[in-house]
Amino acid sequence: MIPQSHFLILGAILFAIGIYGALTRRTAIGILMSIELILNAANVNLITFNRFLGSPDGPAPSGADGLGQIFALFVIAIAAASAVVGLVLVIAIYRNSKTILMDKINLMKW
Amino acid sequence: MNGLIQTLNNLLNDFGLYREFVIKASFYFIAALTCLFAFMVVRSRDIFHCAVFLAATLFGVACVYLFLNAEFLAAVQVLIYVGAIVTLFIFAIMLTTKIHDKAIKQTNRQALIGGALALVLLSSLIAIINRNPWKAGGPGADREFLGLGELGKSLMSTYALPFEVISLILLAALVGAIVIGRTYKE
Repeated sequence: MIPQSHFLILGAILFAIGIYGALTRRTAIGILMSIELILNAANVNLITFNRFLGSPDGPAPSGADGLGQIFALFVIAIAAASAVVGLVLVIAIYRNSKTILMDKINLMKW
Repeated sequence: MNGLIQTLNNLLNDFGLYREFVIKASFYFIAALTCLFAFMVVRSRDIFHCAVFLAATLFGVACVYLFLNAEFLAAVQVLIYVGAIVTLFIFAIMLTTKIHDKAIKQTNRQALIGGALALVLLSSLIAIINRNPWKAGGPGADREFLGLGELGKSLMSTYALPFEVISLILLAALVGAIVIGRTYKE
């Protein structure tokens, strides 16, 4: 069997790549893509813990069978909502200032 | 879906001893490919290529879900992420930037610091994961596929309230997106 820690390490790698992208991307769309990567890393972790739920002494507590998967479903829904609102904000900003480079948008800086 | 998995299982059982090896090798191959695509998402110079690599990454993650016995989540991932969100990203790219404008520098001045920070974060996360003795291998470790019916039942009974709240959030996001995105005539 593939050990649990390898799934968790995959999630950690995706998370770190997403953080790197969110910190260094210049375009707003690139930052939003990195945030999607971070949310996916969280989902990988949630589903991993759901899969390996239950101690060696006994089965998983009843009622918690699909908890991780349901949580992951909610994360996907939130990610969809955030992507929609974020992209519309990007389009609105582009309409006003003709750029989506984040370091060129300094309307509220003085 | 289950029939397909059953056929695959029978096929793999014919391999006998190699079954475990085939599963392991395919997992590590898919995981490595997913990480590579994710890296291309944040490093590619052309923002349109980034969107395509994002689709590939999300598809790889969906394959990883299959290894975790979450076949419904894998289907949802492909439908919503690859089908809807990446399409949305591509539309936003086409509406805002000149697609093949490679002259624009894609990273800001924090590239070095950001990379160092991400590396430190990754190494500490891996160290923490390796320190923890994960007590896997119990009865929970060889659970059957969680049926779609079970998932739906608990969504409609135990988690009914969060389910309704999430639909409200989606509606609010939809209405908000329309309000922000529309143009006002003077």
